[in-house]
Amino acid sequence: MLNNIIFDRACIQFNESFSLREIDWVIEPGQVWAIMGASGSGKSALAAALAGAGRVTAGTLRGLVADTGVVSLESQAALIERERLRDDSDITDRINEGTPAREILDEVCANAKLQSRLTRLFGIDSLLDRGFGKLSTGETRKLLFIRALASKPDMLVIDGPFEGLDARTVPVISELLRNLANDLPMVLVINRLDELPEFVSHIALLEKGRIKTTVNSSDTTAMAALSQLFHLQTADIQIPAAIPGESAPPLDCNKPLVNIRNASVRYTDNLVFENLNWRIEPGQHWQLTGPNGSGKTSLLNLVTGDHPQCYVNDIFVCGHQRGSGESIWDIKQHIGYVSSALHWDYRVSISCKNVIISGFYDSIGLYAKATDLQQEIAVQWLEILGLQARAGQPFNQLSHGDQHLLLIARAMVKHPHLLILDEPCFGLDDLSRQLVLALIEKICGGSETTVIYVNHHAQDQINGINNYLTLDGAT
Amino acid sequence: MANYFNTLPLREQLAQLGKCEFMDPAEFTDGATYLAGKKLVIIGCGSQGLNQGLNLRDSGLDVSYALREAAIRDQRQSWKNATENGFTVGTPEELIPQADLVLNLTPDKQHSAVVTETVPLMKKNSCLAYSHGFNIVEEGMQVRDDITVIMVAPKCPGTEVREEYKRGFGVPTLIAVHEDNDPRGEGLAIAKAYAAGTGGHKAGVLMSSFIAEVKSDLMGEQTILCGMLQTGSLLCFDKMIEMNVEPGYAAKLVQIGWETITEALKHGGITNMMDRLSNPAKLKAFDLAEELKTIMRPLYNKHMDDIMAGDFSEGMMEDWANDDAKLLAWRKETGETAFETTPASDQEIPEQEYFDHGILMVAMVKAGVELAFETMTAAGIKEESAYYESLHETPLIANTIARKKLFEMNSTISDTAEYGCYLYNHACLPLLSDFMSRINTDVIGRGLDLDDDGVDNQLLIEANRAIRSHPVEAIGQTLRGYMSAMKKIT
Ligand SMILES: NC(=O)c1ccc[n+]([C@@H]2O[C@H](COP(=O)([O-])OP(=O)(O)OC[C@H]3O[C@@H](n4cnc5c(N)ncnc54)[C@H](OP(=O)(O)O)[C@@H]3O)[C@@H](O)[C@H]2O)c1
Repeated sequence: MLNNIIFDRACIQFNESFSLREIDWVIEPGQVWAIMGASGSGKSALAAALAGAGRVTAGTLRGLVADTGVVSLESQAALIERERLRDDSDITDRINEGTPAREILDEVCANAKLQSRLTRLFGIDSLLDRGFGKLSTGETRKLLFIRALASKPDMLVIDGPFEGLDARTVPVISELLRNLANDLPMVLVINRLDELPEFVSHIALLEKGRIKTTVNSSDTTAMAALSQLFHLQTADIQIPAAIPGESAPPLDCNKPLVNIRNASVRYTDNLVFENLNWRIEPGQHWQLTGPNGSGKTSLLNLVTGDHPQCYVNDIFVCGHQRGSGESIWDIKQHIGYVSSALHWDYRVSISCKNVIISGFYDSIGLYAKATDLQQEIAVQWLEILGLQARAGQPFNQLSHGDQHLLLIARAMVKHPHLLILDEPCFGLDDLSRQLVLALIEKICGGSETTVIYVNHHAQDQINGINNYLTLDGAT
Repeated sequence: MANYFNTLPLREQLAQLGKCEFMDPAEFTDGATYLAGKKLVIIGCGSQGLNQGLNLRDSGLDVSYALREAAIRDQRQSWKNATENGFTVGTPEELIPQADLVLNLTPDKQHSAVVTETVPLMKKNSCLAYSHGFNIVEEGMQVRDDITVIMVAPKCPGTEVREEYKRGFGVPTLIAVHEDNDPRGEGLAIAKAYAAGTGGHKAGVLMSSFIAEVKSDLMGEQTILCGMLQTGSLLCFDKMIEMNVEPGYAAKLVQIGWETITEALKHGGITNMMDRLSNPAKLKAFDLAEELKTIMRPLYNKHMDDIMAGDFSEGMMEDWANDDAKLLAWRKETGETAFETTPASDQEIPEQEYFDHGILMVAMVKAGVELAFETMTAAGIKEESAYYESLHETPLIANTIARKKLFEMNSTISDTAEYGCYLYNHACLPLLSDFMSRINTDVIGRGLDLDDDGVDNQLLIEANRAIRSHPVEAIGQTLRGYMSAMKKIT
């Protein structure tokens, strides 16, 4: 990049409900910018604008770089969506496992050497022949990263560079970006101050679609003020009550909540894990860790019943031995669940309030008439999340972070016996993250819900979780 | 075996054709309980087989798969589908004798052979289920007296059957009991439990008959669904090329256009699809559709008559016996058409432009849906069936074209649909050649070029009235209302 990129009082429209307003911003060659701000403030939109997204309705935007490599939730979602469209298993009798990872890389990359260096660096060289549909969320994220880097872009825009990556990949990526930053213009969207790489030279702070302030990272006073802003105390929150008489039938507290014996998950061409044992007693909170692809999601799906191989394993969940004539809804009524996979799947037209209410019915979308009490409780949740003004808006018009907050409320709303939080802080900014952690801690402190918690951030520890299961992914 | 429909007296034919009734959700409060503890064995693990099986198992039922020996030995896709999903797989000899309910989910063309081999293995007083009634109605399959024969036909592709179930919903489903095979009077109870096990009861179940399902299904698929969309694709594309529209743009406008405009159909019927056009464009589309209906009505009548008389299936079965010679030759021709071989451009086309530049396509959808619906109901088929087999399924087929164009649409739709599409396309192309010679790019490819987009009020009121008062709109509103009675709350 040789020229400046110049936003001059630019107003950029994204959809009916969101636009960036009067952006004045100059990116000069040699600078590395981080865009920060609360969820819903327009961070991702601003990053996307650098890659040409949105429509400039007033002011000007000049100097965009044609070859911009983008890694973001949106580009990941776009790839997932493209694969979904390509998936022809509904019109043929084949289960489509998706385009092999290698082909997805080859689409953009002319430089095979660079590509193979990157795949090794990211630790996914052994997965290249696997179909896209068989990759975990973290693995598709890595694939997208490699794709963006290997296309030899003239500029790099990364929305959440460390989101969804396991602990052992984070330092590798961080180092790689530092090196690249020397001669590749880079804009990062950073959700948390503790993730701000030190090679970032400037920070743009967004609020409600406007740039509130820009900070030079060598200005220590300004940086201190920024950090304070990001560490505001989470107000003393109260979790809205459960609805008496509406929750799942009581469970025998002398039986384990989950008992998995000698379990394995395998496909014709690969083994995810085997000989796995896991017994969870009521009230015993667990944290589950392991690198991307080690089978965390498969294991959790054995518990929730979303993995078809739960029927060929010895699994006892919430009062039922799986495969003994129970229906999947008999299981789900006891479980609250949130994960990025659920987020991808939650593609129905629905209002924000009803997303929360759908947690009472374990459904994606709402297909029953909500009671007054359910409505009332949903409103209380919206207040906690600071989203009361959005109650009637379509879910898909909210920022990714706000959507995720709603799904967390959906998981908690019925006070389930088992609450499974698979990376609940994925894509959240500092404030929202503190809110979510505080909510989880409250729930762990109560007596009715047992929590299984998955995360990659050593910092996101939860008081009250004392049991750990680590999948090593050594297969 | 003789055509079953033709063996019935007229009175009975009419009674069977006229069966289709929306069932009260209260009839499904017991869910799949009637089948609890029973052994369900599915033959075939393809699109319907796999996805229905996954749902039935998640509803607490005992499901396993009988696959042919070669499929197991060669570890074919069907075998992989079943084993990777943790199902028991065995040969028919191993599994069928224990089954209380056998679900025949093999391709229709195989049904005669499969059922003939399966029935002797079935235990006394068990039940055989289909998801499409062709074998019983058109081929006259006779099943042993002690066996109950039912149908549960989801009105969506298999993956959708699964996706909707996982969301906690379902897809609209037709059920029927073959009255000649209901020795213990339990057919309806089994069909209801089976439908509930697939989640169908949440989206609405229609009580139909084998005959109504088959005759309406055949009519819909060969006329509006596959036939009209195929013929329309070729005509619209060729027209644009003739008028020097950029080929990549033309290919994309057609390929993605059907899906985009019929999405509007899905949400609010013909009315909503037409409302997406500007007033002058709407009037234009309205007039074109009227003209198309006049030209094509005899063709729709002929298709319906041939289906009713059994001539259609007879012709098709002759081609089956002749190794699909006609069908395969035609499939190859389709693959070589200009539309098929021109890659769609990467250029972004805004959603509204598909309407504005595709006025003729909108007119074709309107004409096709209304004609198919009118022809079916005139032949004694209930409006409910006619709606599902015309308007409801159009977006689903449009979706396959959006992904893979015509060659793939044809190789993946059922054999019966493809053969019917072949007949329709052959007759309809010449039929519309004169009409097409008068068409210009204002209605396909470039859009109306108007300085003044005013219209005559009276004309517009008339057209709107005609669009909204078509019977397919009234029944559509009711049925979509049932289907989304719950969704509406959102
Ligand atoms: N697709 C739809 O949208 C839809 C909707 C409603 C109803 N239906 C009905 O559902 C039924 C099944 O259709 P489908 O689309 O699911 O079919 P499909 O995807 O083509 O699958 C057919 C399965 O049957 C197996 N098979 C083929 N010939 C066989 C034979 N002679 N003996 C035993 N197994 C055999 C195949 O496995 P192998 O070749 O590996 O043995 C394959 O797994 C049909 O009656 C159809 O009309 C379909």
